[in-house]
Amino acid sequence: MTEILSKDLILAAGRARTRDDAIVEAGNLLLAAGAVTSSYVEAMLERERSFSTYMGSFLAIPHGTNESKESIVRSAVSLVRYEDPIDWNGHEVRIVVGIAGVNNEHLSILSKIAVIFSDSDEAKKMLEATTQDEIYEVLAAVNEE
Amino acid sequence: MTTVAADPPVQTGRKTAQVHVQRFGAFLTGMIMPNLPAFVAWGLITSLFISAGWTPNGILGGFGNADLIGWQGAATALATAEDGTTFPQYLGLVGPMITYLLPLLIANQGGRMVYGERGGVVASIACMGVVVGSTVPMFLGAMIVGPLAAWLMKKVDSIWDGKIRPGFEMLVNMYSAGIVGMGLAIGAFFGIAPVVTKFSEILGNGVQSLADANLLPLMSIIVEPAKVLFLNNAIGNGVLVPLGIQQTIDSGRSLLFLVEANPGPGLGLLLAYTFFGIGASKASAPGAAIIQFFGGIHEVYFPFVLMKPALIVGLIAGGATGVATNQLFGSGLVAPASPGSIIAVLAQTERSSYFGVILSVVLSGVVSFLICGVILRASRSRDLAAGADGGLAEAIAQTEANKGKKSDALGRLAPATAGAATTATAVLSRPIHSIVFACDAGMGSSAMGASVLRSKLKKAGVTDVTVVNLAVANLHDDADIVISQRELTDRARRQAPTSEHLSVDNFMNSPVYDTVVERVVASHEQGGTA
Repeated sequence: MTEILSKDLILAAGRARTRDDAIVEAGNLLLAAGAVTSSYVEAMLERERSFSTYMGSFLAIPHGTNESKESIVRSAVSLVRYEDPIDWNGHEVRIVVGIAGVNNEHLSILSKIAVIFSDSDEAKKMLEATTQDEIYEVLAAVNEE
Repeated sequence: MTTVAADPPVQTGRKTAQVHVQRFGAFLTGMIMPNLPAFVAWGLITSLFISAGWTPNGILGGFGNADLIGWQGAATALATAEDGTTFPQYLGLVGPMITYLLPLLIANQGGRMVYGERGGVVASIACMGVVVGSTVPMFLGAMIVGPLAAWLMKKVDSIWDGKIRPGFEMLVNMYSAGIVGMGLAIGAFFGIAPVVTKFSEILGNGVQSLADANLLPLMSIIVEPAKVLFLNNAIGNGVLVPLGIQQTIDSGRSLLFLVEANPGPGLGLLLAYTFFGIGASKASAPGAAIIQFFGGIHEVYFPFVLMKPALIVGLIAGGATGVATNQLFGSGLVAPASPGSIIAVLAQTERSSYFGVILSVVLSGVVSFLICGVILRASRSRDLAAGADGGLAEAIAQTEANKGKKSDALGRLAPATAGAATTATAVLSRPIHSIVFACDAGMGSSAMGASVLRSKLKKAGVTDVTVVNLAVANLHDDADIVISQRELTDRARRQAPTSEHLSVDNFMNSPVYDTVVERVVASHEQGGTA
């Protein structure tokens, strides 16, 4: 978990106000961690234009296209929390999870996020976590189960 | 509990059989439908260029004498003229297309559906075995050999899956498919082609004996299915035409010329599709009807029957009606109507027979239209649910059925047996062993969905169902259920035509998941009792 979603890939208070800015914000975390090249962030925007990555429960998981997998250096997942909902194709989104996954290395962390957001109590904890550490702990709690 | 346990097995057998038939139908459609343009192209070329066509062309139609026409460089074959001499005849487009192109396309598509591109290639190689191993068009052969060859290739590959030394994969994959393809082509040549040829002979003999026994309308029971399997020429020219000519010599006309050439039943079928069909088949039916009825190229309607074999009932009834009408009025043709166009039919109609012949075409068309219409109507909602609606209607109906069952007869049962209660209704599908989530990249959304469903199944105590996520492009036709986003379901369906498809809007909290969990639980308990 620490390798794929380390603390520096978590942002507790995102600044973006629009969907595309939020995708770039999550993408830039991946970029800063050296997980992807800049063309991957472009692919994330492109992918969002053809299919929404809105998942329900205030969650969106922007990621690249099938073709853009070559721009992934290593598997990584970033997480940005927004205090105020972002308009995501008409849905409200407060957690944006940027995904760069190869060889399914990101699946365990992704399934933790999925399990959290399919349970409304757990999702609430995540939405109310205001610091990097708190968010990390919510994720880690799933780990211990 | 005892009543529940006593009833379902009966229902299960019937429902499972029904599902098998539906899945088989979906497979046939998937094998034929993408190739419809090739049938249409062949139909147009044939109705234009054959010697009885609109603009006969000896070079393209494949009947011209190369020595006389003198067009250089085209493929020719030695043919025998009426006077017994031989001459170089152009091959043309008509013969090679129906002999090679169409069966190969069908085999390729069938193979592709079973085992991707690799399956398609091996299927095409094997199909060549049946094509050249026989003198009748090998559509039936292609529909059997194609999927079979791909399936065998898949099995063979699984033997050394993951055991090849790195760097040798390409070499092994190329030669294994080449060798298996070669073996299957030879096997099909000696094993399957003679069987299909023999089969068409048996059909011909059956028609002959019905004609001898004067049970003429019953001939349609053999002739119509044989036509649809592209054995029409074998039966038409092999049996009906010689018998018909004999009758014409005796009595000036014969209805036997019309048994196979009557364009009425096919027209009725295509009109039924035009009014009651769905999707692409509805849209392409009117054009096919024109080629069929006026161009006389009956082959263009055969795929429509192959997609939905139950429609053969309508064609048989239509054909038999036509034969009976001609028998009643003593009407017939003086010579074979070839191709079976309404124009060719009228041109060959004996002078006193116009009323009977026209009536036979009209009545056979009406009967076929009505029966095919009823069949299409009856399966329409199911086809829509499986086709355009993304399977959602089915899922909703399933949920409602489950609820309804729970609430009435089983309402008094304790909650602990609620899982068993759904068993009675949730047997519409075969046991569910593999579920695939598909999304565009196979990286995010589908992985989330798969995780949620996996955890739900785990909570329900199910451990032997695999739930994986894939990019739509990598989907194979071997999952029991494929779940995808609504926008992607059509693409997913093309990749995996025989899987059941469900659409979701919300990957995190879809009502579809609970339905699937209930069904998995039910199908497992079903498997336990059966």
